[in-house]
Amino acid sequence: MSNMMYRAAVLSTIMEEMERDPNVVVLGEDVVGGMGTEGGPEAIGGIWSTSTGLYDRFGANRVIDTPISESAIVGAAAGLALSGKRPIAELMFADFIGVSLDQIWNQIAKFRYMFGGKTRCPAVIRMAYGAGYNAAAQHSQSVHQILTGMPGLKVVMPTTPADVKGLLRTAIRDDDPVIFLEHKALYATTGEVPDDRDFMIPFGHARLSRAGGDVTIISSGLLLGMCEAVADKLAGEGIGCDVIDLRTTSPLDEETILDSVEVTGRVVVVDEAPPRCGLGADLCALVAEKAFSSLKAPPLQVTPPHTPIPFARELESAYLPSVDKIEAAVRRVLAWR
Amino acid sequence: MPDIRPFCMPKWGIEMTEGTLADWKVAEGDAFTRGQLLCLIETAKITNEVEAEYDAVLARVLVPAGSEAQVVGTLLAVTAQAGTNAEEIDAFIAAFRPANAPVNPGATAQDNPAPATTSTPAPRPIQTNRAISPEALKLAEASGLDIEPIEGSGRNGRITLQDVQQALNAPANPVLSGALAVAAEDGKAFASPLARRIAAQHGIDLSGVIGTGPRGRISKADVLALVQQPAPAPSAAFVAVPNPPAIIPFDRMRKVVAQRLTQAKHEIPHFYLRSSARLDELLALRKTANLVLGAKASINDYLVRAAALALAQHPEVNVQVHGQTIHRFAHADIAIAVASPNGLVTPIVRLANRQTIAQIAQATSGLIDKAKAGRLSLGDMEGGTFSISNLGMFGVEEFAAIINPPQAAILAVGAAARAPYEKPDGSVGFETRLALTLSVDHRAIDGAAAAQFFSTLKGLIEAPEALFA
Repeated sequence: MSNMMYRAAVLSTIMEEMERDPNVVVLGEDVVGGMGTEGGPEAIGGIWSTSTGLYDRFGANRVIDTPISESAIVGAAAGLALSGKRPIAELMFADFIGVSLDQIWNQIAKFRYMFGGKTRCPAVIRMAYGAGYNAAAQHSQSVHQILTGMPGLKVVMPTTPADVKGLLRTAIRDDDPVIFLEHKALYATTGEVPDDRDFMIPFGHARLSRAGGDVTIISSGLLLGMCEAVADKLAGEGIGCDVIDLRTTSPLDEETILDSVEVTGRVVVVDEAPPRCGLGADLCALVAEKAFSSLKAPPLQVTPPHTPIPFARELESAYLPSVDKIEAAVRRVLAWR
Repeated sequence: MPDIRPFCMPKWGIEMTEGTLADWKVAEGDAFTRGQLLCLIETAKITNEVEAEYDAVLARVLVPAGSEAQVVGTLLAVTAQAGTNAEEIDAFIAAFRPANAPVNPGATAQDNPAPATTSTPAPRPIQTNRAISPEALKLAEASGLDIEPIEGSGRNGRITLQDVQQALNAPANPVLSGALAVAAEDGKAFASPLARRIAAQHGIDLSGVIGTGPRGRISKADVLALVQQPAPAPSAAFVAVPNPPAIIPFDRMRKVVAQRLTQAKHEIPHFYLRSSARLDELLALRKTANLVLGAKASINDYLVRAAALALAQHPEVNVQVHGQTIHRFAHADIAIAVASPNGLVTPIVRLANRQTIAQIAQATSGLIDKAKAGRLSLGDMEGGTFSISNLGMFGVEEFAAIINPPQAAILAVGAAARAPYEKPDGSVGFETRLALTLSVDHRAIDGAAAAQFFSTLKGLIEAPEALFA
């Protein structure tokens, strides 16, 4: 085991996989960044420090700086993947999937299906998402609810450095397109990570980060830590919370969710995307449909309101779910009669 | 799942409690077909031939021919399909519980193969390749359900707890209302489907109506407002339309009212004292007193004062009942029943026997204002040693109220009415009388004590000067 940051887990996994498989290539805006400058190619760039050192190690054929064009990045990744490479494309901000949506939604998600299974598209599209950095409405969004709704894509949202390692390796070796969502506010968090260079976590297997039989709290990403804090606080009062880290939203581990709800009968879904047609609504629908008879209270969502993300620090923290809001929701389902 | 079935002592007629297996006509291990003679069973009255109802093998005989009489429902034998192994039969017998287990298990014959006598059957382990949730499996095993026919609703047909519960439940028998009339959306009026349905039921044309909802949307309330207006021209023939109920679930207050009053009517042995009091003196005095005091005391405020003074004199009525104890109070906290927009509430005038009429009037008007605004606190309503409920303003002549626990008595006040009476000289005069009904909890208060209190109360109303003492 090594103790490392979330961002270091991203970088070391890419590094290991590039060493293992010469078909793995990296492309994106500023992944190298300093071409032609005095300090050399790697002097500038890689704003998330998730590509530092790759260019020195693997050179220009496998680490490709691109123009500021998300449609070009994803389009190029699609072509590379179809022709036998395993591209890892980086979108600096998940908010910009909009300009590359045809490549993501109509092309890479559909290739295998529309070519009758005769082709595969093993592309990984990494992107940084999430709020909490005062980055305003166009650089803070959580886009998983849009991408999870698209058949043909696998959507991964790791919470811990170990999960980054295991899930990113699975993503790179997977023969289908994978959207890999990295939370900006988690990059500097640390955790124990297995050293095994083949350590993989299969998709569709949620992690039970706290176990208790009274309430099920489902989340992932930055908010999972808040859910754990609430569970730990309530454990002191004798209230047991199952805290489920989804890890992947597509495929979804409905078994872990239903098994927990069949015991607890109470569900709080905590999500960073707005409430309408989102992950929270999707999971509430799942338990209402398949665990209706076990429910002791209406399933609740804790999400931001249906508004763009505010810029002002105070407004942004009021907008986001918090420990207090999650605790209030848990107490509400417990008090339901 | 092997098709193993029990063969039990049948029940022929209401008087049959046991039977004796006279003879097996099929040997253990032999196959039989439907309609074949299986065995002979003797009762106190007759010997009957038992025919097989299906094809199977007589896998195991548990009660040999000529054994002692067996009670109805006792497992006599087990049948199965050919090839069923002995372990499965053993497991079935171990888990078997008669449909109507005997009240006294000792009554079964000692060579009975030990049908489980506990109220829940022992869990029967299920061996299956089907994907099933742990809770679902637990329930299926505990209830002995065959899970194979279940179509799982989980991903890839996985069986959920809900699926098992549905399989165990009786078939649904939903009450359906069928097609309900809905006025067509005609482009002239923008109305909710519910509003259009109500409009259709009442024959209302919505065109030209502008609703109060967002963007002029016609809501249910808008249509109901039209329904309550008199019809512009009475139609010649009565048109029958569906009359569906408006379904109003109990809100919290209604649940509390329902629960407490049901409990009161169930648990408290109520008895009722009825009388009426002459009100003329109090009415006359009230006019003067309100002028002098500058207060706006109502008749009810005077009744609160009168009841409080009477309770102070008769503390055996000024009580609460808590389990097997009576709590007796020196001062009277009087709850007044107020109809608020949310339902019945009973705020309390504290220490009413220590308050003047003016103070009581001030307290009740404050409480009533709070009740109408829905701002009463728990502290305003907690406790109380006596209640007064007045429906006189609605012209109710008299009524009997339900005691509000833990209190032990409540006074129901009807309307003041003019009534003839015989004057001392034998001529007929008219006076105003107020109908009073006292409901009393006989567990805590006896009839005589209640009657004495009632008499004091009536005296105070009829000679109201004492209320200013």
